[in-house]
Amino acid sequence: MATTAATLTRAGAPAGYEGGVWSWLTTVDHKRIGQLYLYTALTFFMIGGFEAELIRTQLYGPNGTFVSATTYNELFTMHGLTMIFLAIMPLSAALWNFLVPLQIGARDVAFPRLNAFSYWLFLLGGIFLNFGWLMHAAPNGGWFGYAPLSTSQFSPGLHMDFYVLGLQILGLSTLAASFNFITTIINMRAPGMHMMRMPVFTWSTFVTQFLIALSFPIITVALTFLMLDRFFGTNFYKDSAGADPLLWQHLFWLFGHPEVYILILPAFGLVSEVIPTFSRKPLFGYPVMVYSLILIATLGFGVWAHHMFAVGMGPIADSVFGITTMLIAIPTGVKIFNWLGTLWGGQLRFTTAMLFALGLVGLFTIGGISGVMHSSPPSDLAQTDSYFVVAHFHYVLFGGSMMGLFAGIYYYYPKITGRLMSEALGKVHFWGTFIGMNLTFFPMHFSGLAGMPRRIYRYEALQGWTLTNHLSTIGAYILGLATLVFIYNLIRARSAGVVAGNDPWGAPTLEWSMPSPPPAYNFAKIPVVTSRYPLWDTKSAEQIADEPLVKRWERSALVESKGNAAADTQQPPPSAEQLGIPMPTSTIKPLVAAVGLVIGFVGLLHNKSLPIMLLGGAIFVITFYSWVLTPLEPEHESEVASQ
Amino acid sequence: MNLRSRARRLAFAALTVVLAAGVAACAHDPNTIFGAHSDLGHATDALTMRLVYFAIGVFIVVEGLLVYAIVRFRRRPNSPVPKQIHGNTAIEITWTLVPAIILALIAVPTIKTIFRTQAPAPAGSLQVEVIGHQWWWEFRYPQYGVVTANELYLPVGRTVSFTLKSNDVIHSFWIPSLAGAKRDVVPNQTNYIWFTPDSVAAWDGFCAEYCGDSHANMHFRVFTEPAPQFAAWIAHQKTGPAFPDTTAAPTKSAATQTSAGTVMLASQVTMAPAADSAAPGNGIFDRDKIPQYEIPNTPTPAGLTFSNVTGDAARGAKLFKVSLCIGCHTIQGVSPGITGPNLTHVGSRYTIAGAMYPNDTKHLELWIKDAHLMKPGTIMPVFGKGLPGAAGGFTDQQIADIAAYLSSLK
Repeated sequence: MATTAATLTRAGAPAGYEGGVWSWLTTVDHKRIGQLYLYTALTFFMIGGFEAELIRTQLYGPNGTFVSATTYNELFTMHGLTMIFLAIMPLSAALWNFLVPLQIGARDVAFPRLNAFSYWLFLLGGIFLNFGWLMHAAPNGGWFGYAPLSTSQFSPGLHMDFYVLGLQILGLSTLAASFNFITTIINMRAPGMHMMRMPVFTWSTFVTQFLIALSFPIITVALTFLMLDRFFGTNFYKDSAGADPLLWQHLFWLFGHPEVYILILPAFGLVSEVIPTFSRKPLFGYPVMVYSLILIATLGFGVWAHHMFAVGMGPIADSVFGITTMLIAIPTGVKIFNWLGTLWGGQLRFTTAMLFALGLVGLFTIGGISGVMHSSPPSDLAQTDSYFVVAHFHYVLFGGSMMGLFAGIYYYYPKITGRLMSEALGKVHFWGTFIGMNLTFFPMHFSGLAGMPRRIYRYEALQGWTLTNHLSTIGAYILGLATLVFIYNLIRARSAGVVAGNDPWGAPTLEWSMPSPPPAYNFAKIPVVTSRYPLWDTKSAEQIADEPLVKRWERSALVESKGNAAADTQQPPPSAEQLGIPMPTSTIKPLVAAVGLVIGFVGLLHNKSLPIMLLGGAIFVITFYSWVLTPLEPEHESEVASQ
Repeated sequence: MNLRSRARRLAFAALTVVLAAGVAACAHDPNTIFGAHSDLGHATDALTMRLVYFAIGVFIVVEGLLVYAIVRFRRRPNSPVPKQIHGNTAIEITWTLVPAIILALIAVPTIKTIFRTQAPAPAGSLQVEVIGHQWWWEFRYPQYGVVTANELYLPVGRTVSFTLKSNDVIHSFWIPSLAGAKRDVVPNQTNYIWFTPDSVAAWDGFCAEYCGDSHANMHFRVFTEPAPQFAAWIAHQKTGPAFPDTTAAPTKSAATQTSAGTVMLASQVTMAPAADSAAPGNGIFDRDKIPQYEIPNTPTPAGLTFSNVTGDAARGAKLFKVSLCIGCHTIQGVSPGITGPNLTHVGSRYTIAGAMYPNDTKHLELWIKDAHLMKPGTIMPVFGKGLPGAAGGFTDQQIADIAAYLSSLK
């Protein structure tokens, strides 16, 4: 067994990506942009995780003095912002960038340069938001930035300026990406790739993009009001001028609740890829899984005020939003049951990816159950703004989103890099995460039920909160160590991982038919799709049945030896020129345009400096025009249209 | 594989045990939301317990199926490709309907409870106006003309109807083990919550909505008392401040006083300053009945020290009247300020600074000396002479005098 693995390792490194910093700065290849998203998002994930460790250290015991009140308030604000906007969303973006064109049989996304622009804007927005730390003025009003606390009257200084402008930059990045993916998925599917044949991850991406396109404009409006208030003295949120202090909350949660589904649906999509592969069974109830995605997304716009049961909306609004919130539990429950149905009667293989996917099913369920508890307004009035809520949404966002994203990373890492991550380290990571996560967040339910409010930098002794907080902090340290194992595994596997081959998992979907990593043009010949699981159709049942219980990489070698692979990984695939495939030209313009736009925001932050704003605006406008007026592929402008 | 599934099974069993044990243990925590001691608390509790039972049931079923599938369907050597099932309409309809039925069983009592608990408060309720400030609570009893801060007195068995208003940002009014439910305190908007306390005790109150730097330090205390004792408390609060120095003592005409409590006034005037326990008959909650967990244990800031001097209340009274203090604090008949807490009977309170510190000479002195160090973000100025940001500045002796004066205001 060891010999086989060693032979394979020596058999030649997978074809890499063209090197050089310049090639990454100018790339418009969705696969490379996906990787840029991946590594940037993981870096921010580590920063957000570090902030969480500081928070937990402060709260280990009563009357913590590890950080000051102001620093603590900055930490919990930045932890939330970082994890939501700079870690989970871009991790999803990394995977939908890398995967969607491969899953639907396309050469790239619809607008490759806009895709690069989205990434650079995200990177610069993330740096902008974190720059507050260096100025000793990180945002401190919570990720929810409730007015009037976030207005300049109650939050003077740069803190919330970084928040307002940083989120505007990130919002632009996200919106550009959503239009790009909606267009890509509608227009660029391979022949035969009907909507109801699309992999569920692509479906979840598709639905998520609509959530973004419809919800981000709302936060943009809310933030623009706040920006005008803070910079130009308007009175949108100034309560002393008669503003309605709930205006912000309604706008924010009208965005904020769909945002929760933006964070969780891609993870649902990933798990819907991983579970069928490692059960060797098609997804149970595919149409219902798709409809439930759409239903969750639609209902997701009608439940926002369940974040506001305590604000005094009156019994009718409370009842309506309570009922809609309960309704949304039904399609969500259906997804859980359909995953169980997929497992049922399968042949389960417990790879790391599968463990994380099962982790999502088990842990998200807990978050879903506590979510239903919040849907009953009178009971929610006891739970809201207590640690019970902190427990609830960490089961949703860590137990759900992050578990799903980890599953996706382990599953797709070999496709992205051509090498497998270590399964042994992966299992250490999984069990450390599973134990650490439950030890951190489960006791928080009890802290909350024992009356501990959220967002407090200190608490008194003898309140019955000390033990649960001890446990949460110890759990957070375990979680942190497990994450370090993951990062080590990820870095190590880039050079030392076992060569994966085209299809290390015996997976059914299109992306596993091509070399790992795929060549720049993706498909040498655009495939014709005839079913939801094209690779399982070509790989006969007998072939699979012959195989003994073997390790994945050995198995992949078997599959390849049977001639299933579309290309031989030991020889580099032919270049685009050899195949006569037109490729988009690399260009620095998206990066320059993004820099120009951010310079404009910096000018606003810097005492509304008109020269800086004009400079940024000029750079953006000139670059943008030059970009728009240059064809994507100089020699083959009509190629995309003719597909 | 066996080891893994056993670990999972164990984890699952452990979770269930922890859940049950946790709910049981929670019930004994001082601020538990379970079994809150009022009609509103019972209504909330009934719903919450129903939710908890359904939650445990769903948890056991779903996690049980998951663990069973993991154990039962793991891959074995030489097993054939599993049957390729794409779905089953009957089963899918079933697992859509069952959750819907469970949710209906939650929805019906939910709606009933919403309309019952948010109905207008019964006639004849005690009216209390709650005003949230960064970071302290003002309580007004408009039926009696009484204003106090951070310590709320309520009679047992009589419905209390709160009107909630904010002076600045959004706060949230929460007494977990008395009311269970909370209600946000929103500027430019009046919110309501009402309940009837059913037992005599001291309770912790919190601000539950993030409201800036010292959100964590925006606590209050609630004392529920038998009706006669509450009446005595009201009567006492309506009197002017107790102080032997006639120059500082209130005149009947002063300020907004609607006093009818002249008898009480007479008895208070003879009271010695800085007496340790409240005099009987003034309705103050009995110190001995305050549980240990309600005595604040916030450490004082390192580096903030105070000389060993003894304050003189009479000197303090004179100094108070000419100090900046009067700009922000009301003492009936002495000063009209409204920015800070009303101090008319501050000596009778058990805590200061939003229930952050116990109300004793030491903490009062340190508070006046450097409130900025004592409570992050507070607008109470620094008074210690020579300290950074000090407004004017008092010597430790002067501060001790003022503290002695304030302590005497029972």
